[in-house]
Amino acid sequence: MTTVVEPRKPSARAASLAVSEAFGIFAIVFAITAPIFYVVSELAGLPLFTYHPGTNRVDFGWAAARANEGPAMYWYGWIGSMLFGSTVMGLFATLLPRGVSEKIPLALIWIMPLLALPVLAFVLMPFWTR
Amino acid sequence: MDVVFDYISVSTFWTILLIVHSLLAVATLGALTHQAMSVAMPARPMATPAGFVTRFRSVYGAGYATAICVLWVLTFILGAWIYTKYRIAIRIPLERTGYWKTLGFFELKEHVAALGLGVLPAYWYVWKNAKNRKYDHVRKWVTILLATMCWFAFLVGHVLNNARGFA
Repeated sequence: MTTVVEPRKPSARAASLAVSEAFGIFAIVFAITAPIFYVVSELAGLPLFTYHPGTNRVDFGWAAARANEGPAMYWYGWIGSMLFGSTVMGLFATLLPRGVSEKIPLALIWIMPLLALPVLAFVLMPFWTR
Repeated sequence: MDVVFDYISVSTFWTILLIVHSLLAVATLGALTHQAMSVAMPARPMATPAGFVTRFRSVYGAGYATAICVLWVLTFILGAWIYTKYRIAIRIPLERTGYWKTLGFFELKEHVAALGLGVLPAYWYVWKNAKNRKYDHVRKWVTILLATMCWFAFLVGHVLNNARGFA
């Protein structure tokens, strides 16, 4: 005896996305390129914006913390860069001929985040060695 | 926000937010663990009554995909909101008391959560095409990856909360 529960019917919108070949290519390329954009924006100091939590101020791109205004936060900006870059790459990939897009190795979807993690852990070295 | 603070204190507000964030994380963790078990060790029909482990991994994995995506995003948004408070009220005191490795693991957790966010569209797509054998391999490993990320983030968040608490 098993406890497998059969699913409900998905909504029409979700079902159409699930069978859309273009969305599939977009999602796959988005997932593969997201860790690249995230790591590059972190290493190269390329956040889409900088948030200053002490004053609720947002600067476009990278901005240093100002005196007497508390720290600057770049994490939101790195995510912004990742989402923007991956969306552009994903949309671009939907324009590729089917023969090209079918050759994208699907394993990269889970390998790329795994490769990004040691790099990000290394960047945090000051925390490990203090 | 000032209207809210007429009724509850600032501290209570952030505590409520943290508890909701934690509860959403528990839901995400449970769903992902069920799904990862179902795909890593799929249950086979048996003549004898199923035990706890068999029942645990006998879920219909595809039915969890949309809920997990929604839960991950909601947990992420709440976590990102709390992170603003953390940066000033939690991290700075912990730096002063020398909790460097705890803080480092928390920063790594934020990276992990962001990387997980990037994987979600592909994860959803391969699960919504659960009958397509082309995606079997990636479906299995991306689910295990997300489940591992979720466990890591959950445990690190829990430890950090123990280090600072609601002080």
